[in-house]
Amino acid sequence: MWETIAQAVINGLLIGGIYALVSIGVTLIFGVVKIVNFAQGEFVMIGMYISFFLSSQFGIDPLVSLIVSMPVLFVIGVLVQHFLIRRVLGPNDMPQIFLTFALSLLLLNLALMLFSANYRTVHTSYSDEALHLGELYIPVAKLIAFVVAMALSGALWVFLHTTDLGKAMRAAAQNRDVATLMGINPNRVFCVALGIALALAGAAGSLLMPFYSAYPFVGQVFVLMAFVAVVLGTLGNVIGALVASLMMGVAESLGIQFVGADSGLIVVFAMLLLTLAFKPTGLGGGRAR
Amino acid sequence: MTGRAQSLLWLTIGIIVLIALPMVVKSSFAIDIFIRILLFSFIGVAWNLMGGYAKQLSLGHAAYFGLGAYTSTILQINYGISPWIGMIAGGVVAMLASLPIGWLCFRLRGPYFTIATIATAQALMLIFLKFRDFAWGAEGTTIPNLGSAPLMMQFETKASYYYVALGLLVLGLAITYLIERSWMGYYLVAIGEDEDAAEAIGVNAPKIKRDIYLISSFLTALAGTFYTQYIYFIDPATAFSFNISIEAALVSIVGGIGTLWGPVIGTVLLETTSTLLQSWLGSSIGGVQLTVYSLILMAVILWRPTGLMGMISEAWHRFASRKPARATP
Repeated sequence: MWETIAQAVINGLLIGGIYALVSIGVTLIFGVVKIVNFAQGEFVMIGMYISFFLSSQFGIDPLVSLIVSMPVLFVIGVLVQHFLIRRVLGPNDMPQIFLTFALSLLLLNLALMLFSANYRTVHTSYSDEALHLGELYIPVAKLIAFVVAMALSGALWVFLHTTDLGKAMRAAAQNRDVATLMGINPNRVFCVALGIALALAGAAGSLLMPFYSAYPFVGQVFVLMAFVAVVLGTLGNVIGALVASLMMGVAESLGIQFVGADSGLIVVFAMLLLTLAFKPTGLGGGRAR
Repeated sequence: MTGRAQSLLWLTIGIIVLIALPMVVKSSFAIDIFIRILLFSFIGVAWNLMGGYAKQLSLGHAAYFGLGAYTSTILQINYGISPWIGMIAGGVVAMLASLPIGWLCFRLRGPYFTIATIATAQALMLIFLKFRDFAWGAEGTTIPNLGSAPLMMQFETKASYYYVALGLLVLGLAITYLIERSWMGYYLVAIGEDEDAAEAIGVNAPKIKRDIYLISSFLTALAGTFYTQYIYFIDPATAFSFNISIEAALVSIVGGIGTLWGPVIGTVLLETTSTLLQSWLGSSIGGVQLTVYSLILMAVILWRPTGLMGMISEAWHRFASRKPARATP
């Protein structure tokens, strides 16, 4: 019994690391630019396809292709901010919600047209490896993904708290107008925020590839998790999103273990609805602008 | 006064054309497209009441579409009750469901309201997928074909379905017209502009939002019943399809959010585009339709946030203001 629970918790924590990369991106964009990026999951999908094609065409290991997927998605993020999101920033909700939503639909259906709905997998030498700790076992690919995800999250935290650009981003998140008066160029800060958030999504995609299939709809799984985690962990809060993501992973994994294999999403929705019902004030940013 | 007489004249001509259409056009392919246009216009009109006027941007209206479809189907198959009655019952079930869903979702504003509505519709779909006791699980079921049975909402000709869909759309537009001109319409627009300011001047925003959600979900449920009867099939993936939620919002935004005719114009544009695409490319490639829809949506948001209605009224004003310019050189 205890082994089963411990094993479920380990599985949950490992996948929670990936959720964290996605939700930190969502929360970073929300905190700095004040919009919700409905397309974040599709950028995870792009990261996965980049790693898949680098692996199938050139035999590059998905973990190595991180150094391609992250910069590519950083550039995409800057372009998305500069050419799309910048034009709809304002007091009106409708264009902001439906612009990123349209982007999500566009990327998903482009992927469907170009790559078909087939599942693509990459098999690496460590895909089936596992470490054994007594009764427990830890899959190596998921462990690597978790460790890299935590390292990237830590690096982001250091960046936000020690560098000038990071401090400028946090300043812009706290009060855009005052930050602009202090000489911070908001569009530049927003471009970097989008770039970093999308690079994290790309990293999540590459890290997933050794043990997860790429398909056009794959992003939807992760973006739902991310939204719930971001709501749970208070909007715009990087540490909150990280902790909430790990919790979500564990809750989902326990749900699968004890309720049934296809109940992962039910657990997620239940957590979202419970949060809304009992702690809507924790959603601070959702109420105030 | 003449303006009013003129619009009445246009309305009468429009209604006569729409009634005569299936008598002139006999191709069942064409009538199928007309039915889709009428149906999605109606769903758009239902969405627009809440999403357009009050700017409560729901992406979860599939919840009510599905509840309407399942209520009437369960009543018909298990109890032999006519879908005409089931349709109303479905509307009532949808209204009852909108109360707790609204209670949860209206605590949030902006994008988080939208996410919460997506989650509720998805949760309902999961419930119907998982619990096979009161529905048919993932496989769904076909509606028994009774031949010509107008009392059971089954007709021999597609034209009859066309008139039912037309009736629904007229109902939706009439309700919108009445609300637009009532105190409720003004309250809705006030909430849509700035909810806090509206509350500050004494608008009971939670009550108004609840009431419009009741009306919107009731109408959406009617569409669900009609659609199931039309295609003779129901399963959770079609009845609670996310695409229904998307299309309801999309046609309104593309046509002109918060306007009476916006959803209709938006549906005509999108459905025509999708039909042309399918006849050019065939339906073999998945994703083409939604790729084009999303491009149109992005273009509207970036360049014409008022939608096609905004473009039409701009063009009309330019046309109207040219006349006096000519009179006084």
